[in-house]
Amino acid sequence: MNPQLAGLDDLEGTYVFDLHTSNRAMKLNRFLWKMIGTEARAHFSKDPEQAMTEAGLSDTEKDLVRRQDWIGLIRAGASFFVLEKFARVAQRTNLEVYAMMRGETFDEFMATRRVPECR
Amino acid sequence: MAKIIGGIGTSHVPTIGVAYDKGKQDDPAWAPLFKGYKPVADWLAEKKPDALVFFYNDHATTFFFDLYPTFALGIGEQFEIADEGAGKRPLPPMRGNVDLSIHIAESLVNDEFDITTFQDRPIDHGCASPLPLLWPHAPDWPGVIVPIAINVLQFPIPTAKRCYKLGQALRRAIESYPEDLKVVVVGTGGLSHQVHGERAGFNNEEWDMEFLDLFVKNPEELTKLRHADYIRRGGAESVEQIMWLAMRGALEGEIRELHRNYYLATTTAMTVTLYEPA
Ligand SMILES: [Fe+2]
Repeated sequence: MNPQLAGLDDLEGTYVFDLHTSNRAMKLNRFLWKMIGTEARAHFSKDPEQAMTEAGLSDTEKDLVRRQDWIGLIRAGASFFVLEKFARVAQRTNLEVYAMMRGETFDEFMATRRVPECR
Repeated sequence: MAKIIGGIGTSHVPTIGVAYDKGKQDDPAWAPLFKGYKPVADWLAEKKPDALVFFYNDHATTFFFDLYPTFALGIGEQFEIADEGAGKRPLPPMRGNVDLSIHIAESLVNDEFDITTFQDRPIDHGCASPLPLLWPHAPDWPGVIVPIAINVLQFPIPTAKRCYKLGQALRRAIESYPEDLKVVVVGTGGLSHQVHGERAGFNNEEWDMEFLDLFVKNPEELTKLRHADYIRRGGAESVEQIMWLAMRGALEGEIRELHRNYYLATTTAMTVTLYEPA
């Protein structure tokens, strides 16, 4: 256990992205990361199944991507910072992704914010 | 001899860049953010620093997790602003100073800070989101940047204390550069926010204020905190505030806070501060 991170076990809704997670979910994260490239984006838009198979995603991972299950992807080991690149391709804003990860509708989530118009 | 004339702390939320590009400077929801940068931009226009050293983090754009540097310094005449999935931003590439960057790399490594170097790679919102609020980009940026990326994404990440020491080493590097350059050090990130998991949207204004006060008066205290302390108090991604401590290390000693703007609108406590050596 990394002593810098000890004592977080009771902190709910937080998934620390460490080398264990990174190593386990390398293919998923690389697939999401590649969305910063115009070619990878075009390839995914044209044939998502083929793109996911080429990236070596497991069936579970493919399903999470198909359903755009943001919290499921985080639990499967995705780093938020590559997830947000995929969110751009899926035409979702970060605020929408936060709401979905919290299990709230967008309006419910924004109602909890101080300046909901700031988007 | 080059000299550090001040420090800036700033958030680097990507939406700042989006709002900037969409021209939302006078939108009532965004104006408190943009107005808050004005005094810092004015100070920069008056002091005319030659270089801004950015302690920032890459967001798995320049580097991927298969080879993720703990500390990495950019070298180049210019740095392209990265496409992060939504296409290119309408901004000119950021400018660099090859000799200055190389001197800093040499000085850091000879000082036992074995930093990675990178060349010819685009840089993401870690640098590019706040930069146009600090410096004008038309017709071109008025000075150069020295990008120093710190891993705050994939644990293990450097300790708060290590970041502070990196700042101290940067100061030795700057002060041993033969040219009379004026340098400002920028620490980016924060303040409280969490962007992943069911805890996304977490903020802690009380802690943010405590952080900002300790930052000036007692940074030593902040260097003793563990990553878990930052995560618990300010939200998981607020741990990136350790990059502010790198800037503080470069301004070691007494400092004066000339400006502070804090705007917590949706999910990140968007903050900008300005410091001068006392
Ligand atoms: Fe960041």
